[in-house]
Amino acid sequence: MRSTVWLDIVIAAAAMAVLLLLPLVFPGKAFSDFMIRLSAFAIFATSLNLLVGYTGLVSFGHGLFYGLGAYSFALMMQKLGTSIPVAFIATVGVSAAVATVVGAICIRLKEIYFSFLTLAFQMLLHSVIIAWTPLTGGDQGLTGGVPRPPFLGIRLDDPQHLYIFCSAVLVVSLYIMWHLVRSPFGYTMRMIRDNPRRAEFLGVRVWRVRLLAFVVAGVFGSIGGLLMSLFVSSAYPDFAYWTVSGEAVFMILMGGISVFFGPLVGAVMLLLLNDVVTRVTEHYSLMLGIIILCFALGLRKGLLGFVLWAWERRRAGAQ
Amino acid sequence: MLTVENLHKSFGGVNAINGIDLKFDAGTLTAIIGPNGAGKTSFFNLITGAFAPDQGRILFGTDDIAGLSSPDIVKRGIGRAFQIASIFPSLTVRETILGAVNAHRGWHTKLRRRFPLGEANAQADEVMELVGLTAKADKLSGNLSHGDQKLLDIALALALEPRVLLLDEPTAGMGPEERWQMIDTVHKLWQRKQMTLIFIEHDMDIVFKYAQTIRVLSYGAVLAEGKPDEIRNHPKVIEAYLGTAYEKGRG
Amino acid sequence: MDPQALLTCLSTASCVITQTTGGLISGMLLFLVAAGLSLIFGTLKVVNFMHGSLYMLGAYFAYTLYTATGNFTIAVVGAALGVGLFGLVFERLFMSRVYNTDVLMQLLVCYGFILILDDAVKIIWGAEFLSMGMPAAFQRPPIMIAGGILPVYYLFLIGVTLGVALLLGLLLTRTRAGKIVRAAAVNPTMTSALGINTALVFGGVFALGGLLAGLSGALAAPVRSMVAGMGFSILIESFIVTVIGGMGSIGGALVGALLIGLVRSFGTIGFPLFTEGVMFLFMTLVLITKPSGLFGKEH
Ligand SMILES: Nc1ncnc2c1ncn2[C@@H]1O[C@H](COP(=O)(O)OP(=O)(O)OP(=O)(O)O)[C@@H](O)[C@H]1O
Ligand SMILES: [Mg+2]
Repeated sequence: MRSTVWLDIVIAAAAMAVLLLLPLVFPGKAFSDFMIRLSAFAIFATSLNLLVGYTGLVSFGHGLFYGLGAYSFALMMQKLGTSIPVAFIATVGVSAAVATVVGAICIRLKEIYFSFLTLAFQMLLHSVIIAWTPLTGGDQGLTGGVPRPPFLGIRLDDPQHLYIFCSAVLVVSLYIMWHLVRSPFGYTMRMIRDNPRRAEFLGVRVWRVRLLAFVVAGVFGSIGGLLMSLFVSSAYPDFAYWTVSGEAVFMILMGGISVFFGPLVGAVMLLLLNDVVTRVTEHYSLMLGIIILCFALGLRKGLLGFVLWAWERRRAGAQ
Repeated sequence: MLTVENLHKSFGGVNAINGIDLKFDAGTLTAIIGPNGAGKTSFFNLITGAFAPDQGRILFGTDDIAGLSSPDIVKRGIGRAFQIASIFPSLTVRETILGAVNAHRGWHTKLRRRFPLGEANAQADEVMELVGLTAKADKLSGNLSHGDQKLLDIALALALEPRVLLLDEPTAGMGPEERWQMIDTVHKLWQRKQMTLIFIEHDMDIVFKYAQTIRVLSYGAVLAEGKPDEIRNHPKVIEAYLGTAYEKGRG
Repeated sequence: MDPQALLTCLSTASCVITQTTGGLISGMLLFLVAAGLSLIFGTLKVVNFMHGSLYMLGAYFAYTLYTATGNFTIAVVGAALGVGLFGLVFERLFMSRVYNTDVLMQLLVCYGFILILDDAVKIIWGAEFLSMGMPAAFQRPPIMIAGGILPVYYLFLIGVTLGVALLLGLLLTRTRAGKIVRAAAVNPTMTSALGINTALVFGGVFALGGLLAGLSGALAAPVRSMVAGMGFSILIESFIVTVIGGMGSIGGALVGALLIGLVRSFGTIGFPLFTEGVMFLFMTLVLITKPSGLFGKEH
């Protein structure tokens, strides 16, 4: 067991090293901006997959945490003038608390009702953001910028530092979640996804496991939003709009719901699509719609899921 | 060990369980028989907390467990397997059983360490050995044959080291040869683990050969109970049940 | 937030009447869309996330038919039938392929279509706001009640939708087709065992849902401006309505739709920034206290 943990750490370190070297290959600002947005979305989509793919809880309202993370972090920086690490940790705390309350209410409901209730909570946050203009700036978003004071020699108002910081948060977050799905808890999540009734008769208090999964997913979801607010130096009501949840769902399905790195691959795909398609045609929706249909009707395993499946089959065939 | 007093449960207008009093002594092997819809599965459901009874007591040892949640009841030492194998299709056999072992030991919410925990491995191996699934340890549960899925369902319950084990038609849907193999396995388990075993069964040959005592349910009530010989010749049982089912079991 | 304005409005008859009639027509248009959504969910256990786009198609179809023929009746009937047909084709060719997958695939197919239809509308009708204008028959001074305004068209619209609601109720409870649909909702395997063609039932339900949404869009055309993406807010509102009323309940959809319509129209005066918030608050409270909705059956 020990050795595989070390292997994971080595791989994570290698991934970090690659991320640090990439700007040498792609020196432009476009690339680092892309990677920063990617890190926010990859963390967010992977955290949603903990619910959707691993626990079988189809949340339509995970964007609640994206918005919450962005606004609570940005507001703390702006109004309280705290340091970044303090605001980071406080944001995680706020999200965990909100996730506990919202989760405890939502997981009592089954299937589509759960999905709708999560969506309703998210849209409630969105409405509050729009309506509470004095605090949030309403539909204009937070004005005045998010201050990014240096800490420990890290200056996040420097794009290079921000790139490194986001890459590190991405690697660490994915590492923790990867570890999590490989822990006994991760297997319990999968059991509950497959057959919650049976899990109860094994002595598993299903609602507790679901709640814990909801809280963990909420915390990482908020970190995604936090990174985005650092990047744009603001926060917008759109961060809490249902489309954010929708995009994360597409990322998961495009990459592959049954594989851990599916959402990461999906995030790369969707962001690239955004950038490329908007450049070559004005009919972005049409293209995206057709691509989405292809995935829904043809490539249901998602790209990474399909590649892994094909690879498995070839290996099995070779034996 | 397990005593049921004046148990009642109705679903809408159906009185699925209509006043059952039964006692199961520690270490015994009991068969429950009865026509379709007699309330056998419902009886198990009440004991394991799938539903709370409308009325009555369920004493496990000296504690009344009626109305407790399923996890609470399971944790006290009552395990069950289902009429239609209830498993986790996307997990392998080993993962499934390790998951059950983790749940039993309260490790199933551990976040920090890797799955499987080393200590759980030995027990999982033992359970797979007991039911004869060792060779299929790394197969996906969903891809197992029907019989193996039933075995896996039982193995899940065994991983909890129950003091009372409830098996709902362990031989359902199997061919004659497979049935005898299955019941043989179950019988060996009972001997080795010295637990209280209650199984529902429609095949009378199996019932008469293996059960120490038999309880006959009909319309949610106990029609008769006794040793196999007493039941075989019990006029009410023959009338209500054996006449048709005995033939069916053979044919 | 302006509670003062709301109070002032509530204390003057003219304002109450104007807002109520406005709320009623929003509610009735919403009802037509939500009823289809609810019917489809009740029968097929599928959430048609592109239902709002059918509403949008209805409006644009009506616009084109009206500019071509100048006849509002043809425009409305043609648009409703056209969208009903579209619903049928969509169900047979696409939606029926994802019934046995999880809800995410259904969501995905629908979202793909939302995007495609929005862009298609832009390509065909342009990206700007379109307005059809009031048909000649309704171009007459509004009825005044205690100083409140009631446009004639509103009266017509409320009458038509109430009639449709009644017809729908009769269709579902009194006819053989309606009974089959309700039986299919309870137990699809049983109906197919009885030799009833489930594919036909499902396609029919989708067509009916499409027809209702198309009708709603067509009726909205004279009083709403059209733009690609207009289906979205009505989709969200119909979700809220179906959840509040109970998925599968037509009566629930009517009550829920009127409630939401009134919240919207009075909300714009009292809490313009939080009208949507109030709707979602309703939805949240209903889901928490009675997940099956105010008029839904528990299961
Ligand atoms: N959850 C439930 N809801 C409604 N009715 C139920 C429920 N569970 C059982 N019943 C009804 O209770 C009665 C007893 O059913 P039960 O499943 O206990 O019978 P059984 O003896 O196990 O039959 P079989 O031999 O067919 O398995 C039946 O009439 C059944 O329809
Ligand atoms: Mg049974």
